[in-house]
Amino acid sequence: MKKSLRFAAVLLLAALIVAPAFAAGGAETSRQAAGTPEDPVTIELWFGAAITEAGMIPDDWVGYDIIRNELGIDLKLTMLPSSESDQDQKIQAAGAGNVLPDIFMVRRPVLVNLVNQGLVAQVDDCFEKMPNRTALIYDADAIGNATIDGHVYGFASPGAIVRNEGLLVRKDWLDNLGLDIPTTTDELMEVLRAFTFNDPDGNGKNDTYGYGAFIETDANLKGYPGSRLWPIMGAFGVEGLWCFDAPNAGLNIYKPEFFDFMVFLKNMCDEGVIDPNWLSYKKDDFRAAWKQGRFGVMYEQNAAYASQANYAPFDSIFPDGEWVIIDAITGPEGHASIGAFDMNYRIYAVSQRAADAGKLDKICELLEWMSSDEGYYLLGWGQEGINYVFDENGVPVAGDLGDAAFTGADGQVYTQLRNMVFYNSDVELSSRYPTYICEVSGKEMSALRALREMQGMKWTNAIGSSTLPTPSADVQRYYDQSLAEFLSGAKALTQENWDAFIEQFNAVGGAAWNEEGVAALEASGLIRE
Amino acid sequence: MNGNKTRHLKPEMQNKKVRLSRADHTFNVVVNVFMVIILIAIVLPLWSTITLSFRPIDFAGSNLDGMFLPPWDWSTAAYESLLGNNGFILAFFNSFKILVGGVFCALFLTIPMAYVLSVQSLPGRKIINMIVIIPYVFNVGMIPAYLLVKDIGLLNHLPAVFLPGAISTYNCIIMRQFFVGIPGELKESARIDGCSEMQVLFRIVLPLSKAIVMTIGLYYGVSFWNDFFNAMLYLNNSYLNPLPILLRNILIGAGVNENLEVSAFANAPINAIKAASVFMSAIPMVIAYPFIQKYFTKGTLLGSVKG
Repeated sequence: MKKSLRFAAVLLLAALIVAPAFAAGGAETSRQAAGTPEDPVTIELWFGAAITEAGMIPDDWVGYDIIRNELGIDLKLTMLPSSESDQDQKIQAAGAGNVLPDIFMVRRPVLVNLVNQGLVAQVDDCFEKMPNRTALIYDADAIGNATIDGHVYGFASPGAIVRNEGLLVRKDWLDNLGLDIPTTTDELMEVLRAFTFNDPDGNGKNDTYGYGAFIETDANLKGYPGSRLWPIMGAFGVEGLWCFDAPNAGLNIYKPEFFDFMVFLKNMCDEGVIDPNWLSYKKDDFRAAWKQGRFGVMYEQNAAYASQANYAPFDSIFPDGEWVIIDAITGPEGHASIGAFDMNYRIYAVSQRAADAGKLDKICELLEWMSSDEGYYLLGWGQEGINYVFDENGVPVAGDLGDAAFTGADGQVYTQLRNMVFYNSDVELSSRYPTYICEVSGKEMSALRALREMQGMKWTNAIGSSTLPTPSADVQRYYDQSLAEFLSGAKALTQENWDAFIEQFNAVGGAAWNEEGVAALEASGLIRE
Repeated sequence: MNGNKTRHLKPEMQNKKVRLSRADHTFNVVVNVFMVIILIAIVLPLWSTITLSFRPIDFAGSNLDGMFLPPWDWSTAAYESLLGNNGFILAFFNSFKILVGGVFCALFLTIPMAYVLSVQSLPGRKIINMIVIIPYVFNVGMIPAYLLVKDIGLLNHLPAVFLPGAISTYNCIIMRQFFVGIPGELKESARIDGCSEMQVLFRIVLPLSKAIVMTIGLYYGVSFWNDFFNAMLYLNNSYLNPLPILLRNILIGAGVNENLEVSAFANAPINAIKAASVFMSAIPMVIAYPFIQKYFTKGTLLGSVKG
């Protein structure tokens, strides 16, 4: 027995010793391909899919053949995970293994790391090779977003639509009570009181509130109590987490007007004119509440309000109900803003490995083709007649194509690359948000019309917020918790207590965070005189 | 039946009612109330998820309202959407392959490893044990593991999901302790009868170790079925993605796309899709568990108290 065990132990040791010999793996033997349909250049692309949960683009996608035949490129696609942190990990691991794909979507903080490691190629000279795409997508802001130490290390294209939220009021309630659309904070307060106490829906019950909201915050733009209160914060000039205007550049919470805003909001809470569940609501609860007619003033996103699926429950319960989008409320000092906005960009970077293999020109060729009419419609909507048809306005629509349409279960997988070509053009938005007739009320609705109205309101430019420093977890917790305590009444909202809070906030790290942010604003030239 | 239960009592005590003191009653009440609270804490989220998965698309109430929606108003649209989605079926089968391949490989490697470590006379046993335990305490880290998987050519292959974790130190130690508890005389007599060491393992030790094999198999099975990270890291071919990747894409991606007219599962509310996908991905483990439970309890206890 001892003999066989000894043999097993020796075998184990031998395996441990020999293993590194296999660790070399398959050595890469690369040959420069001609870049013709017969001898195509392989381009590996890791992309952010439009609808990750729908699945991968099928192997029979006609785009593969077109790209091969027209560009001499053999395209290999990989969908990145839908979570940004998962994307970061996958890309960083590939970077560490020096197996980054030829072109890949990456967030700026990760890009900076990869650039520092020399894993990403400079693409300063690429824009002139893509004149059509550059004119459509890569403006100065976009190029600036991918610029590090004076060189461009990626192709940044517009991400999600911005300024797509607005302040909405129940017009039918205003009419029932003989009230006008509010334009100032005083008028707003009167409307909120009337909506709360004067039975605006006429059902004889005391079951409505003036304002509805929930806590929607982040560490860059939407400081506590969050964006759902922005129109009110805007009336005091403290919308957004950061102020970009000299001489108050820095965290908005340091401005005296922030205290005034808190007093106004606390009054709303004390008078009971804001839905008391707003501090505990989740987004879904909030959306269920406005569809049930619980409150008459809210801040909502265009499609969450007006797209067919989202508006249908409200329409069936309140066929005579009507929301109107109103302009920013003016505060006591004349401030008015619907909210603050930042730009989102999706950056596609080219690996140094790909550049060294001479693939950069082919990548430019591919991107330029994507923005041609052929590439744009193929990637955006699929094949004409199979996945989409043009309507009388030249907008791609699903028509009677059923599941094969770009909106259908089978067709939507062919549009997974659409975020690489979309730039929020009118055609895209008209296609995404079609006009429809409500089933119960027969009203004509359009999320695009709502978007255009919302974008036409007064907004505060906070572009660059995403590049500013974020607080430590302790500072963030102290900031959020203290404001919540003031609003819930756990701590009295007096000037003395407020000053004490600011002092303590500075002590726990708030001052350092603010200084770091101001320095970043100055360094980026983002401070407005 | 009653006789069986009281057979261990003295004859004069049998068929006599045990009188409980007030303190016993109080204790029982407290324990029962506590257990009911625990039960509610378990059942409520489960019920919430189940009812959410059957939510109709035109439902406008809150989550709480939805929990009390009568079953005749439920909708199976979320399940129909999921089962009609090719990606879901493909991911399910990929997960199944990983589960079967992973459990087989893991047991195939863990059993001999644990057995060798359980043999007292193994030369250098202490050192080998230490070598086995070191990675349990100090994790190798993501990047070295990635480099290793890449260098041995496993990137983009399903085994990359389960091979790196095919021998879990924790499971190996539990199994070793179980093997240590098997009487040495049995193995000794088998050797005297001419069994080789492999025959001792497969003919004597393993038949006596069903409980621990099933238990460790379940441990491995659950971990491979739920493994998201390795698949996310090592699989670039989206057709190889297992269920946890799709589940995460649904949970995150569906939320991102919730306000678009185009979504992957247009016929059901996004939250119903999320709940249905969570529920469906748990079904295989829920089905398997009752069959393995009797081994599971026994195997875990034996592994923990012996050695």
